[in-house]
Amino acid sequence: MIALAAASPNTTQGAANRMSPVFLFLLAIGLGLAGWLAGRAKARAFSRDKDAPRIVSRPGYHAWYVAIWVAVPLALFAVFWSILSPILVDQWVPATPAGQSLPTFGFQRQSMLAEARAVAYGQAAGVFNPDAAALVEPFREASRFYTLVGFGFALALAVILGLWAFTRVRPAFTARVKVERAVMGVLLLASLVAILTTFGILASLVFETIRFFGMVSPVDFLFGLSWNPDPMSNPAAPQGDRYGAIPLFWGTIFIGAIIAMIVAIPLGMMSAIYLTQYASSRWRKIIKPALEILAGVPTVVYGYFAALTVAPAIRDAAQAVGIQNASSESALAAGLVMGVMIIPFVSSMADDSIAAVPGSMRDGSLAMGATKSETIKKVLIPAALPGIVGGVMLAVSRAIGETMIVVMAASTAANLTANPLEAMTTVTVQIVALLTGEGSFDHPATLSAFALGFVLFMVTLLLNFIALRVVKRFREAYE
Amino acid sequence: MTVIHDMDDKAEPKMRASDVSVFYGDKKAIDDVSIDIPTKFVTAFIGPSGCGKSTFLRTLNRMNDTIPSARVEGQIELDGEDIYSSGMDVVQLRARVGMVFQKPNPFPKSIYENIAYGPKIHGLAESKGELDEIVERSLQRAGLWNEVKDRLGESGTALSGGQQQRLCIARAIAVDPEVILMDEPASALDPIATAKIEELIDDLAGRYAIVIVTHSMQQAARVSQRTAFFHLGKMVEYGPTDQIFTNPLEERTKDYITGRYG
Ligand SMILES: Nc1ncnc2c1ncn2[C@@H]1O[C@H](COP(=O)(O)OP(=O)(O)OP(=O)(O)O)[C@@H](O)[C@H]1O
Ligand SMILES: [Mg+2]
Repeated sequence: MIALAAASPNTTQGAANRMSPVFLFLLAIGLGLAGWLAGRAKARAFSRDKDAPRIVSRPGYHAWYVAIWVAVPLALFAVFWSILSPILVDQWVPATPAGQSLPTFGFQRQSMLAEARAVAYGQAAGVFNPDAAALVEPFREASRFYTLVGFGFALALAVILGLWAFTRVRPAFTARVKVERAVMGVLLLASLVAILTTFGILASLVFETIRFFGMVSPVDFLFGLSWNPDPMSNPAAPQGDRYGAIPLFWGTIFIGAIIAMIVAIPLGMMSAIYLTQYASSRWRKIIKPALEILAGVPTVVYGYFAALTVAPAIRDAAQAVGIQNASSESALAAGLVMGVMIIPFVSSMADDSIAAVPGSMRDGSLAMGATKSETIKKVLIPAALPGIVGGVMLAVSRAIGETMIVVMAASTAANLTANPLEAMTTVTVQIVALLTGEGSFDHPATLSAFALGFVLFMVTLLLNFIALRVVKRFREAYE
Repeated sequence: MTVIHDMDDKAEPKMRASDVSVFYGDKKAIDDVSIDIPTKFVTAFIGPSGCGKSTFLRTLNRMNDTIPSARVEGQIELDGEDIYSSGMDVVQLRARVGMVFQKPNPFPKSIYENIAYGPKIHGLAESKGELDEIVERSLQRAGLWNEVKDRLGESGTALSGGQQQRLCIARAIAVDPEVILMDEPASALDPIATAKIEELIDDLAGRYAIVIVTHSMQQAARVSQRTAFFHLGKMVEYGPTDQIFTNPLEERTKDYITGRYG
């Protein structure tokens, strides 16, 4: 076993290679600390010196100024180097004498290099292909070399920038402004993370969606009436006929935007009206947090409730009144429970909107001799309506994106029907079903999940966008 | 302790408050006030800030009911009927005793709907035609008709501050009240809009009993026939406006009117 002979040398060394970014980070912290101390010492000397001009920024800011100039470029370099150095190593190895003996192309060449790399970095104990063993040492050598180069660069960078920053520490230097600008930059980056992630998600969705639309026409997908993506169940049907998403869109709208809202809008509104207009402040203090706790219950819990309690109850009730074909995975059960889940959301949006209507409006109505309920119906709710509508749209967007309840309580059968007692499926249920199956990632059945996700993403984005604008307009009207 | 001048006119009282005290929680904001409010006259309430003018004004149409901590003692009569008795319907009371607030507060509805609001809830119009008539008549009386007759469908909140306040006055008179309470109705307006409101109050005076709270001595002198001076929750002096301004009997009244007092 020649192959295993290569395994004996130290794996710690391989580990050290991959540790080099970590070392660079530690170096950044260490040198940054040194810069901090040096900057502070120099600035303090100025502030103690009676003859020197008055120091503009406090010594702490000078310290941070130097430390930032030392540590931040160094840390960025560490990130950069951890990406670049493996590439350089991979280019070095084939150029060595041992590398000359590699097959010129193809799979074999790649696999030999991969094996040698794995051994050199300590990821594998030995090579299977004896020829690869000769490449282990060049890999180690290259990685040692580039680690050294990296340290050298890093050190030089830190020292040069640190010295430059250090020389700028003077009494008149406005270190505080510079440091605050750096802090602001960090905050800006943090806020960009969420936005960039959204774009990243969108980009990957778009990419896979385009691949899907290469196989199935968008028209068939968006307007087709039959959804049946399982390749086994109906192999004879042509592609386009199997990916008609209308039944899914309909199921999603029927459960999330119709049944759920029929429950959530009236109950949410009534609870908001009660809380803002009738409840004593003691009741309000009890009920409002209780509703907010309800909003924090994990949706999977609602899912149990829908699947184990509500769905059978609805089926039994339907059978009791003589409807025989009621499904135990009815759209009604999922929609009802989803509606209950959304109540706190609608109620708190409506509550905020009604509370935002100025008290003078209410007084004006009461002073006209309107009763409390007339005032609510004819002045407060119309005045709060834009805010309430915006809130309902946000609620709809949440409901149609909701996954757990429908996965547990709705069915996977794509029926196109308006009978709430029948089984129905939603976009999110199908995405889960398609991606948790065994399908390969280039089969249209799997890719269709991305197309569905893309549609869902766009619709909720649009709903949120419009809703937030409506709510904003409404708030502005009363400011 | 309150000085009440001889009123030699033949004004008949519309509202009569007897020994009225108002509390916010334990705090007494109005202390034992008795006053007759005559019909077809303008009565002005003056006094330093925080003396209880608004509080007392709000007892006259029971708007204090909307403040949970407020409590009213004593008796207030409208045409001899106790407005705090259980037999009095507060909805009816407020239809008879209208109110205009310091800050114009039109509803976020059309100009037409703002005026039609009261007549609709009180069922004053049998038909659309009748309602149109009420709207036009009220806007006419409030001196706003010519400015808005071509845009009755526009939002009331789109009017200028002065127009909004006249809209609120038109809204109040649309239900044909007997008394109109105005709490500093012109304090948020410029001199020209103020002059319009004062003119309007003059025009309305012959028809309703009007009570106006104001911080402007000139305004009180210009528009009112009766003036009551409040101080620290008490009514100090009450009498014909010209007498209060030219010949006050109380030292505190004199100090306030001549500006020696906050
Ligand atoms: N809702 C309330 N709760 C508790 N106290 C109140 C309330 N409204 C008014 N007060 C108190 O009652 C007293 C009289 O207030 P009021 O508003 O009647 O004065 P005002 O004469 O109208 O003053 P201004 O000229 O500033 O309008 C004040 O001390 C005030 O703090
Ligand atoms: Mg006041």
